[in-house]
Amino acid sequence: MKQLKIAIVLVLIGGLLTTTAFFMAFYTAEVQSFGEVAFERPIETVFPSRGVSPEGLNLYGRPWFSQKIFYFHVPVAEASFLILLLSAIFAVRFLMTRRRDYDTKSRIAMETSLIFVVLTMITGVLWTKASWGVWWEWEPRLTTYFIMMLMMIAYFVLRNSIEDEERRAVYAAVFAILAAINAPISFMITRLIPSSHPVVFQSGMASSNLLPFIVGQVGMLMVGYAIYTMRMSEERLSERLAEAKEALED
Amino acid sequence: MAEEYLRRDPATARRSSLSMRQYKAILRKDIVMELRTKEMVTSMGIYSLLTMVVYQIALSQSGSAFDPRDIAAGLLWLAFIFTSMLGLNRSLVHEKDQGCLEALLLSPIDRPIIFFAKATGNLVFLLIVETLTIPVFAFMFLQDGGYGGEWWMIPLVLLGGSIGVAGVGTLLATMSVNTTGKDFVLAVLMVPLMYPLLLMAVLATSAAILGGDGSVAQFWTGMAAVAGYDAVMLMAAFALYEFVVGA
Repeated sequence: MKQLKIAIVLVLIGGLLTTTAFFMAFYTAEVQSFGEVAFERPIETVFPSRGVSPEGLNLYGRPWFSQKIFYFHVPVAEASFLILLLSAIFAVRFLMTRRRDYDTKSRIAMETSLIFVVLTMITGVLWTKASWGVWWEWEPRLTTYFIMMLMMIAYFVLRNSIEDEERRAVYAAVFAILAAINAPISFMITRLIPSSHPVVFQSGMASSNLLPFIVGQVGMLMVGYAIYTMRMSEERLSERLAEAKEALED
Repeated sequence: MAEEYLRRDPATARRSSLSMRQYKAILRKDIVMELRTKEMVTSMGIYSLLTMVVYQIALSQSGSAFDPRDIAAGLLWLAFIFTSMLGLNRSLVHEKDQGCLEALLLSPIDRPIIFFAKATGNLVFLLIVETLTIPVFAFMFLQDGGYGGEWWMIPLVLLGGSIGVAGVGTLLATMSVNTTGKDFVLAVLMVPLMYPLLLMAVLATSAAILGGDGSVAQFWTGMAAVAGYDAVMLMAAFALYEFVVGA
C-alpha cells in the first residue's frame, strides 16, 4: 500500500513536470536549426519549409514547429530504452535465482516499456510527417526501433502461448534478454551509421532548450516508474486474491 | 611435443574428446534419421519450389523492362527464411513427439553440446536445400543477365547467413515446440530477431549477383556484419540454451 501511495505521488509530480516541460517548450525554448535533410524525391510538408536550395535539391530546413515534439518524444524514447533494459536485468536475475517475483517484475517492466515504445512511435510518426514530409522512412533508427517493438510484442505472444508456468517464465526471460540487445543498438545506431534521424546532443543545444528537456525527462521517468509500481502492486493484489480463493476452496 | 602432451591434464583431454564424440553421435543420429525418412529435405525442398511458383505470380505483371536480378537476393533469402522455419520446426517437433529430447536431457551430455549438434544438423539440411534451390531459382528467373561477382561469393554468404539462421533458429525452435502455437510462435520470434542478418545477407548476395563497381567492398561490408551477427547471436544462444532446454 505504501508503494502505491509513492506511485500516486510520483505520477502527479511526473505529470506536473511533463506538463511544465510542454509549456516551457512553447514559451521559453528557442528554435534551433539542426541542419538540413536531403531527400531524393520532392516532399510536401504540413508546415512551410525553409531553405529550398536553388538547384531544386529538395533540401528542407526542418520546420520550426515540429521541433517542439522533441521535449516529449525524446524523454519517452529514452524512458522506453531504460525500462526495457530494466526488464532484461530482471530477466537475468530470474534466470539466476528462479524466483517468480523477478519474472513478474520483468513482465511488468516489459509492459510499461511497450507503452512508452508505442508513444514514441506515435510522436515519431507525427514528427516525421511534419519534418520529412513522409509518414515512414526505412532509415536505421526507425527500422531498429520498429524491430524492437515487434520483438516486445512477440514477447507477449510467446508468453500467451505457454501454459506451464515455470517454462513460460524461463522462455520469456530468455526472449526478454534477446530483445533487449536491440535497445543499445537502436540507441547507438544514429551515432554510428549515417542516418536522417537527428542526434540533437551532438549538434549542440542551447541552455534554454536543455532545461525543458531535463524537466520533461525527469518527469517521464517518474511517470514510468509510477506506472511500473502501480501495475506491480495490482499484480501482487491479484496474486493474493488468487491465493485467498484457493484457500477458500480448500 | 611429447612434453606438452604430458603436461596436459588427462582428465580434460578425455573430456574434450568425449564431448566431441557426443556431438558427433547426436549429429549422426539426425543425419541417419533424415537419410531414412528423407522428410526434412523433401518437405523443405518442395516448399522452396512452391515459393518459386509464388514468385512467378508476384512478378507476372512486372513487364519485360523489369530486371529480376535487382531483387533476386531478396527473393532468395525470403525463400530460405520461410523454408528454414518449416525445417527447424520439424526438426524439434520430432525430438519432442518421440520423446527424444527428454532422453537427450536424461543422458549425461552437456547442454551446449546438444545445442551445437542440433544446430549443425539443421545447418546441414538448410545448406542442402539452399544448394538445390539456387540453380532452380537461377534457371527460372535469372536466365538473361548472368552473374556479376566471383564464384565463391554466393557459397560464402550462404554459409554465413545459414549459420546464423540455424543457430538462432535452433534456440527459438526449442522454445516454440513447447508452446501451443508452434510454428506461428516460431515465425513471430524469428523474423524480428533475424532482421539484421537477413538485411546484411541480402546486401552481400545482391552485390555478388549484380557485380559492378564497388560490389566487392559492398560484399565484404555485408559479410562482416553477417559474421558479427553470427558471433554475437551464437554466443547468446549458447549461453541461453541451457535454460531453454531444461525448462
